[in-house]
Amino acid sequence: MNRKFKQLAGGVSIAFALMGGHAAFADTIKIGITQNNVGVDSYQTTYEKAFKEAAAAESGVETVVLDAGGDVARQIAQVQDLIQQKVNAIIIWPTNGKAVVPAVRKAQAAGIPVIVTNSNIAPEGAEFIASFSGPNNIQQGASAAELMCEALGNKGQIVQISGQPGYTTAIERQKGFEDRLAEACPDVKILETQPGDWNREKSQRVMEAFLVKYDKIDGVYSGDDNMGVGALNAAKAAGRADKIAFVGATNFAVGYEAMERGEYYGSIYQSPVDDAENALKTAIAVVKGEKVPALNYFETPKITKANMKDFTKPVF
Amino acid sequence: MAEERLKSATRILTQRGILIAFILFMVGFSVVSDRFMTADNLQAVFRQAAIIGVMALGVTLVVICGNLDLSVGSLLSLSTVLVVDLHDKIGPISAIAVTLLVALAVGAVNGLLVGVARLNSLIVTLGMLSAIQGLTLIYTGGQNVDIQNQDTTWFAIFGRGAILGVPTQILIFVVLAVVMHVVLAHTPFGRRVYASGGNPTAAVFSGIRRGRVVLATYMTSAFCTGIAAIILGSRVMGSQNNVGQGYELLVLSAVILGGTSLLGGSGSIAKTVIGVLILGFIQNGLLLLGFAYYVQWLVTWVVIILAVWLDIAAKRGRMFSPFA
Repeated sequence: MNRKFKQLAGGVSIAFALMGGHAAFADTIKIGITQNNVGVDSYQTTYEKAFKEAAAAESGVETVVLDAGGDVARQIAQVQDLIQQKVNAIIIWPTNGKAVVPAVRKAQAAGIPVIVTNSNIAPEGAEFIASFSGPNNIQQGASAAELMCEALGNKGQIVQISGQPGYTTAIERQKGFEDRLAEACPDVKILETQPGDWNREKSQRVMEAFLVKYDKIDGVYSGDDNMGVGALNAAKAAGRADKIAFVGATNFAVGYEAMERGEYYGSIYQSPVDDAENALKTAIAVVKGEKVPALNYFETPKITKANMKDFTKPVF
Repeated sequence: MAEERLKSATRILTQRGILIAFILFMVGFSVVSDRFMTADNLQAVFRQAAIIGVMALGVTLVVICGNLDLSVGSLLSLSTVLVVDLHDKIGPISAIAVTLLVALAVGAVNGLLVGVARLNSLIVTLGMLSAIQGLTLIYTGGQNVDIQNQDTTWFAIFGRGAILGVPTQILIFVVLAVVMHVVLAHTPFGRRVYASGGNPTAAVFSGIRRGRVVLATYMTSAFCTGIAAIILGSRVMGSQNNVGQGYELLVLSAVILGGTSLLGGSGSIAKTVIGVLILGFIQNGLLLLGFAYYVQWLVTWVVIILAVWLDIAAKRGRMFSPFA
């Protein structure tokens, strides 16, 4: 009696599982996302909002939106939860490119494709992911170098304010810039590079020291406009802003406004909305079995005063 | 005779160690960098030091009273976010008023918990540090805040302007330092602060209402941080929601560097001013030499250890403990 009941129950649950599984594939795609740290900066906050909106607009897509709060352990647990929930794909914005590799491997072993968004996973994790969707930070640095050449007429001396040390995005934006600068206009020399930590106040302090140290600075390249505007503040206070061209590697609202006023030469337009939509599209394509490039970058164009009308002001 | 001279030399070294270190740093940096001793650079250092300096004045009071205030870092974030965000919404004057009131309220909570409820100050203010950071993130929803009409608002006076040729933030720092020095060194309240920190039991038996004194020190500390936030907001004309991260330790470093004892009961505003300047010059000198800011953390640590060691050595009359 007891055994019979168990068999019956087992059979029923298998049937349900089959039905459920079938339904999921035929009607809806379930995509789970675990983000890095929503709520600490405008980019990530806007990204989450855009992701939810994009998913709502897409018919037949259901999402589980999670946030690791910057905590590696919590993100690993969230990946395990998503595996348990048998989602069709997992999107991960790594809190730490190295530490999440085992969790990503587990998901892949469970047959769930993983898409990495915004900042890539460490190289040893590359074989376990279906695709990386995000900005090409090397390219952003390189485009910024071209803007700098253009602004200075291929000749001059500049200083660089880089992002947080050890942060992949910071390293790539610096490398892309330096390599392309040497190639595109070798007569523009970098006097010195100092980290500004993605922090406007710190960059302002760094720039104040640069201004004391160097009598002639023709340009300032910053890892993002937030830091660039800090440098601009310092130069304005010293009365030297009009002799300096400011170029950033990611456009922020403050940079956009300074550009409008003619105080800031140019930057690179990276939209969190494009970032989120690209991640969702990549995930859907992967689930549907379409061919997706391993590095699926979204467009990050140059923005200067000349073409800024074509772009809406960044929300961050 | 020679032995005596050696002894007095040791005494000078241990008692005035921090001042000697300060002078050595100044000489060292000006030898290595020809830009260090320029008027522009000195002014830049004072301007940058003013923010940490104003905060450190308040924290000095708390420390002399025998407690710690680690909440000032995120209180700086919250206050800067508030003053910048409200500037465009309700105007600069109201924004400043609201910011100072919120800061005072936070100081009052700290003061009541430490002074009246008698909870450990490390736990209270460390908890407050993360609580306020959370509050700041909730308030901003993760967004950065900015002031729109940066070039026209009179709010720029605090962080970018000058009065009679002296940058306003330096003036604020100096005035606050003088006022607090007078209060601490020449009023009954100042004596109560020293007494409460030096010997709490004796203070209570002498009729000092220790709880109220503690409350007052925390509210002063929070008020100073509010003022620092106004300077910072005006200087940057915007704020990230974690702008004050790490300031609590920088400020405490400045206080300790000056020679105010963490045990309470001793120290002074003048010492803290020296501590703030040492910190400012280390930061600036290393930057001019081309070192990244994180090198400064290491150097600051070495200087603090030396300062604390010399302080203790001066008290017991020898470098190492005889019981070790």
